[in-house]
Amino acid sequence: MFSNTLFMLSAALTLGGAFAVVYSQNLMHACIYLLASLFGVAGLYACIGADFLAATQLVVYAGGVVILMLFAIMLTGGTGNKINRYGLEKVAAMGNKKTYFTAGFAAVVTSLIILKIIASVLRAQPSKELAANQVTVEKLGTLLATDHILAFEISSVMLLGALVGAAIISRPRKEKHD
Amino acid sequence: MNSTIFSYFSQSKELSTIISGLSKSLGFDATSLVAFIVFAIACLVVVGALATIGGLGTYAERKISADLQARQGPNRVGPYGILQFLADGVKMILKEDIIPANADRFTFILAPFLCMIGVFATLAVVPFSSGFTLTDLNVGIFYLVGMASLVGVGVFLGGYSSNSKWSMLGGMRGASQIISYEIPATITIISIVLLAGGLSMGTLIGGQGGMPQEWYMFHNPFAFIGFFVYFISALAETNRAPFDLPEAESELVSGYHTEYSGMRFGLFALAEYIEVFVVCGVATALFLGGYKVPFELGTGAILVEKLGLDIMLAKNIGQVLELGSFFTKTFALYYVVIWVRWTLPRLRVDQLMTLCWKYLTPIAIFNLLGCAVWMYAFNGKSIYSLIFETASTVAGHH
Repeated sequence: MFSNTLFMLSAALTLGGAFAVVYSQNLMHACIYLLASLFGVAGLYACIGADFLAATQLVVYAGGVVILMLFAIMLTGGTGNKINRYGLEKVAAMGNKKTYFTAGFAAVVTSLIILKIIASVLRAQPSKELAANQVTVEKLGTLLATDHILAFEISSVMLLGALVGAAIISRPRKEKHD
Repeated sequence: MNSTIFSYFSQSKELSTIISGLSKSLGFDATSLVAFIVFAIACLVVVGALATIGGLGTYAERKISADLQARQGPNRVGPYGILQFLADGVKMILKEDIIPANADRFTFILAPFLCMIGVFATLAVVPFSSGFTLTDLNVGIFYLVGMASLVGVGVFLGGYSSNSKWSMLGGMRGASQIISYEIPATITIISIVLLAGGLSMGTLIGGQGGMPQEWYMFHNPFAFIGFFVYFISALAETNRAPFDLPEAESELVSGYHTEYSGMRFGLFALAEYIEVFVVCGVATALFLGGYKVPFELGTGAILVEKLGLDIMLAKNIGQVLELGSFFTKTFALYYVVIWVRWTLPRLRVDQLMTLCWKYLTPIAIFNLLGCAVWMYAFNGKSIYSLIFETASTVAGHH
């Protein structure tokens, strides 16, 4: 009962947020709707008992990614005039009837195909009852430090690359004296 | 199953009689309904109490600053002016609610609520006492860090949407400051998680005792430094002086909430004062033993044994003692926060970033490594127990 309600709310928040992101004409507002959508995804994780994943979703996306996106939009002036001096739309409208119809149709077809593919798997394994609030942190930590150590290390190398890249870009350029 | 406030109350006989009575008269199992009602009442109590604490925080701030500057402070409304915050609240509500013509309306209205949501959502895991915690999540402290980061979004959007230069600069400073100082604060929290071996508030506090030598602050030298790193980062995260650059009066009028008026401004201010309480509470829980009372009085077992009290009554007395312990420590830290504000001058922006990235972050990482090495080398014993053991061994050799 309670988990069903939570699932409904989270799903509504996720889908509503995602729809609002593509519907809104203002990049800044789209970013805020994206925040709502990401919160919904965190709620979905909480529904299936992945508490650590849900909290990570909050920390990484709400705290980090959305703020960085807001900064990027603000510094690039994303919400200025939508029409340039020749009267043309600079940012193509993301939502009109044609795109909604095409996207909706594509989504229905894709989901039907995917359902057809995984139907045998779904039938073979009847859905199990979730154990209530198991501690997933320790298992995740152990797996990350043993089985998936390579993926863990590679992602840290990628972060290091991003760090070095940011440092190089933001470094003041030296004047050439010849 | 996470232990919640409902699991505390379900120990008492009265609740089970209420549940069975309701189940009989309604014709279905009323446990969920009663749990919902208990949670609703508890949430109302917590939000109401914390809003009052936030309001009294403004009063305390003015009174203590007046004390430090040899003035009187508010002394007209109520005895010693203690009702000043109610008068302020009424004034805020009655003021005209101005939204600038060129502001981004949607974002402008949303920003204070984001701040409020971020702060109030953290209250779900703040451990007031072992029974009176709304819920003791498995990932409690991590959830708290994640929810508190919503405040940064609120501050940034408030600054951006006002369409004013002061607000814009304040919002940018606020967001970058909150993001930066989250890093040393979180790393320090992780080093304490390492000592306790769990992310839930119950585990974190359960590893400590009531006496100061059993607190994590005095567990080892690294945790001792970590407390100050966390406290400084918490000051910066809540935009308190000497890190109140986002609302620096002398440069930015009032920073990110320059254009806000009436209750919208009030929500920003209230969120800030409650957040200060929350971070002080977290510092108490992580470093200062949380709600623990000396001699295990909190469980009430000793009261049952020595005074022959009823078990539930003894437990309730223990809870009250624990609440007292938690609030005393937290308010002491709250006082220090206000004291620091009226003592130290404000930092410059470059000094702020230097302090975070060149000093606090390396120190926090060093502390994390130090705690790990300490746990490995001394089998997780605190420095006090090590000294005690050595002393008893030496004394045994006479």
